[in-house]
Parts: sequence; structure tokens; C-alpha cells
Amino acid sequence: MTIPQPAMPAAEKRGAAPWLVPLLAGGFVAVVLGVYGRAHTPTGFAVGLSGFSGAQAMKSWLATGTFLLAIVQVVSAMAMYGKLRGVRAPSWTATLHRWSGRTAFLLSVPVAFHCLYALGAQFDVPRVLVHSLLGTFFYGVFVAKMLSLPKRDLPGWTLPVLGGLLFTTLTGLWLTSSFWFFTTFGIAL
Amino acid sequence: MKPQGPFLTLVSGLVLTAVLGVLSVSTAPEADTVAVAEGEPAAAARTGAAVPGPTVTAQTVPGPTGTAEAEPADTTPKRADYAGVAQGNGGLVAVSIKNGKAVAYFCDGRVEAWLKGTAENNTVTLTGKNDSLITAALGDGKAQGKLQVGKGKWRFTAPLVKKPSGLYRAVATVRGARLVGGWIVLPSGRQVGLVAADGSSSRAPELTPGSPVTVDGAELRPEDTDAFIDRF
Repeated sequence: MTIPQPAMPAAEKRGAAPWLVPLLAGGFVAVVLGVYGRAHTPTGFAVGLSGFSGAQAMKSWLATGTFLLAIVQVVSAMAMYGKLRGVRAPSWTATLHRWSGRTAFLLSVPVAFHCLYALGAQFDVPRVLVHSLLGTFFYGVFVAKMLSLPKRDLPGWTLPVLGGLLFTTLTGLWLTSSFWFFTTFGIAL
Repeated sequence: MKPQGPFLTLVSGLVLTAVLGVLSVSTAPEADTVAVAEGEPAAAARTGAAVPGPTVTAQTVPGPTGTAEAEPADTTPKRADYAGVAQGNGGLVAVSIKNGKAVAYFCDGRVEAWLKGTAENNTVTLTGKNDSLITAALGDGKAQGKLQVGKGKWRFTAPLVKKPSGLYRAVATVRGARLVGGWIVLPSGRQVGLVAADGSSSRAPELTPGSPVTVDGAELRPEDTDAFIDRF
């Protein structure tokens, strides 16, 4: 290390620091959501969008919207990374990816809000336990990904890994909520 | 891409959350407002309930302990209907009491249980088939406690409800089979119901309180608690 090498300090700097802020922030968000969901007294009530038969129906449909947009996310991301064979990503792919992602996130907020504010994190039955844990994890990963996006000094696989985690987690969340609701109570608005 | 884009996304999520929070607090229904206003005691009771362990029987929160042991006057409501959601299950629970008698129904669209028991000292204790058990404390405009059906155990909070919300039951004999239908209707309009026929049950048609429903070509007339609680 005594011989001055211009590349080394940069490489060292790249070692942990760029990860630090996104991952710490993401972990912090996940923990805070979990602690809030567990510690506060669930109110059993929260505002949501009207026009649905009930809070669960509203959440199931919003979550389904988020899930469908998440599929758009995966496909558009694959196109941008050149992973779709024979498909050259059109110029608007990035815009599509960005706005479908934003919409998906904003659609998910009222759902998560109702979950955490009205119901809280519950561990009574496996479905709810899994859903509670995945839900807090999801927003942690989301924050980590948002904070990683502007960073240019992260390895190329960072965003695919975080994005893949998000989609996997969201799939689990959808299965343990909307899918369960639709198969238990029927598909109704 | 503008570097601040992702931050704006996060910030807009935070703003939306804050708006939802403010609206939720300002439009909370009466029963819940009371619970929130009560603050410490309610929270303490809930924390107690959250501790897993040897069956915690009905976290009875004795009302104002002003007069202490002086008068053991029972402040249990003479007549009340409660309906709410089983936490962690999503099924609905309805508890109705009349002059010390309590009936309850739990239904999540697949599993159901009818329970019967007593209401005294602001506590209801009900039992039913399939090892079902409900214990709940009454007060602050709600019934709050535990529910057990088969192997499932959930906590629930059921606010007071008024007709047309609440519990409905219909009994009929159709071609020799005894049909028992149960419905719970929440003030939000959400409802759940099952019709049991000799051991097997199927989803009940949607109930419009006051109107008959048709099951297997037969007409059932669901009755509200006032009508059936004495016979139950």
C-alpha cells in the first residue's frame, strides 16, 4: 500500500461506502415499520379509496394493480438490460419503467397504510406472519433501491438484485393477501 | 434521469402516508376515537393481551374504578350488538347480548361457528361446537377479546353496531335437510355468510337485511338478533 496507486483509493472507496447509505436506510425503514406495526394499538379503521365493498376488497385490488405493474417493471427492466431475446428496447422503455414503478409504489401505499395503521403486524397464523414480515421487508428493499438508483459507483448487478428482490417479495405479499382474499371471499369489487 | 427522481418518489410516498394518517385520525369512527382518547389504559390492556402465554382470559378492563368495591352493580349492557373483524384471520365476528344471555357467530367464508354463553360483569364467555370459544371484555362501545375455533385462535375488536348491521340467522328445513344460514353485516357494508346443511356448508347468497334469500330453490328468511336470540 506504500506505493501510490491511483486506482486503489478509488477501489477502496468503492468497497463499502456506496452500499452503506442505501442498505442502512432500507434496513432502518423495515425495522421501523415492523416495530410500529407491532407496538402501536391497531385502530381497526383507516381511510382508503371509496367505491369498494370493504377495506379488504380495496386493498386486494390495489395490491393486484401494484402486482400487475410490477410485472411491467420486470419486463421493461429485462428489455433495458437486453435480456429479452430479439427485443430491442424502444426509447420509451426507461420512461415506462420509471412511471410504472412510481404508480405501483403509490398504489401500494394506501394498502400498506391500512395494514400497518388499522391491523398492525400480526403473527397469529402463518399467512399473516409471512405477510407481515414480507411487507416490512418490501419497503426496506424499496428504499434501498431508490437510494441506489442515483449512485453511479455501485456494481452493475445492484439494481437487478434489488429489483428482483422487490418483485419476489411483492409476489409473496400478493399471494398472502389478494390471492387469499379472492379465493376465500370470491372475486368482488 | 434526474438524480432527484427516486427521492421525489420516496417523498411522495411519505406525503401520501401523512395525508392518509391525518384523514384516518380525523374520520375515525366513534368507538375507535374513544379508544384512542383513552390512551394509556387501552394501550396497556392491548399490550397485556399481546403477551402470548397461558390462556389470558378476557382482558377485562373494569370501568371507572371510582366507587371501588362499594357497589358491585353490574354495568353489563342489557341489550347490545357487536360486530367486527378477527385480527389475523379476516373473518367476521358478531356478539349479541340480551339480559345476560350472549350469542355469537364467527364466519370467514369457509369456517363458521355459532356460540352461546353468558354476559356478566362486562365480560362475555361463549362456547360452541368444534371447541369454539369466545371470551371478550365489553366497554368503550366495543367488545374486545379472543376467539378460538378449532385450532385457530385470533384476537378481535368488535364495535357496537346498529341495524341493519349485525348478526342474522335463518333456519329452515328443505327437502328433509336442516339448513342454517348465518350472516354478519358490518357498517361498512362488508358481509360474510354461510349456509350449513347437515354438516356441509356453502357460501350464503348476499343478504339484504329485511329481505328473504333463496338457497337451493328454497326461501330462507334471515332474522336479526332481536328475533332469534331468545330461541337460540
